[in-house]
Amino acid sequence: MDHEDRQPHRIPTGHGDEVELAIFSPKMHQTHFPSLQITGYLLSIILTLLAFGMVAYHWMPMASLIPVILILAFIQAGLQLGIFMHLREGRGTTWQIPVLALAVSIGLGIVGFSIWIMMFKSGVS
Amino acid sequence: MSTTTTTTTLPPEFQDNLESIRIMGFWVFLTTDLVLFGSLFAVYVVFRSRVGLGPTPHQLFSMGPVLTETLILLTSSFTCSLSLYSARKNRVKGAISWLVVTLALGMSFVLLEIREFTTDVLNGHTWHQSAFLSGFFTLVGTHGSHVTVGIGWAIMLAIQLGMKGLTLTTRRKLYAFALYWHFLDIVWIFLFTVVYLSGIA
Repeated sequence: MDHEDRQPHRIPTGHGDEVELAIFSPKMHQTHFPSLQITGYLLSIILTLLAFGMVAYHWMPMASLIPVILILAFIQAGLQLGIFMHLREGRGTTWQIPVLALAVSIGLGIVGFSIWIMMFKSGVS
Repeated sequence: MSTTTTTTTLPPEFQDNLESIRIMGFWVFLTTDLVLFGSLFAVYVVFRSRVGLGPTPHQLFSMGPVLTETLILLTSSFTCSLSLYSARKNRVKGAISWLVVTLALGMSFVLLEIREFTTDVLNGHTWHQSAFLSGFFTLVGTHGSHVTVGIGWAIMLAIQLGMKGLTLTTRRKLYAFALYWHFLDIVWIFLFTVVYLSGIA
């Protein structure tokens, strides 16, 4: 098969799986200096210290503290996935995204529904 | 092994069809591992307040060492990404050196965790004492054993990189190891938040 006239952002796997979400279109981040990795590292340190500071120095009431540090954790997980696990690379997002979506939904399902079901009688603190 | 390569803008680990499928397979493994950790997180959260006569999370945790462990693991995640970065620049020495740094940081993480567990057990807080401690030791210990396995893997990978250099196979192995290591970092972020930070809040 000849793929000479293909647009540059299309990856010629040759199996018809080139359909991509534009924002997730695969690209290889390779610069002269690992600036992306350093940015990711600094951001994760900042997020960790921020969450730690919130808890250690009681920056906000208890009711909102746990959701906020959980959101910070999810942001940090997203950073790890996007920057360090190269989610946008490879042969296209059609490969990893469905597996990842399955993993996240099962994981959140197990944890979320366990908490939910236990709240009825005994309570989860 | 298939040697069909398509020279494109694809990253080197994905140039080969078969190796791409192997990376995909590793994502599937990570999915099953996430189910394992999800279950343990669920158990922990449900049993967290069941302390019996044992210590509460607030009494048990000392945040100094835990914050150190977290920073060590975050740094090792960073050095692991630098290893892959060097590999993509075709610098095999750089890739091995950063990998060795990564596994050294991983080792110090595991040692700190062992010290933390030993202190707890010597104080009589074993996992027999309460449902909370059972859940805690199982969850954190499973993560720690994953890191330990990762260290063994990194040692073998570093030896292989030294012997074979950067081939299609060793590149893919390094990539899979990086995925594993970053995955463990993500699990630790949630451990840090759900177990330790929520515990002392």
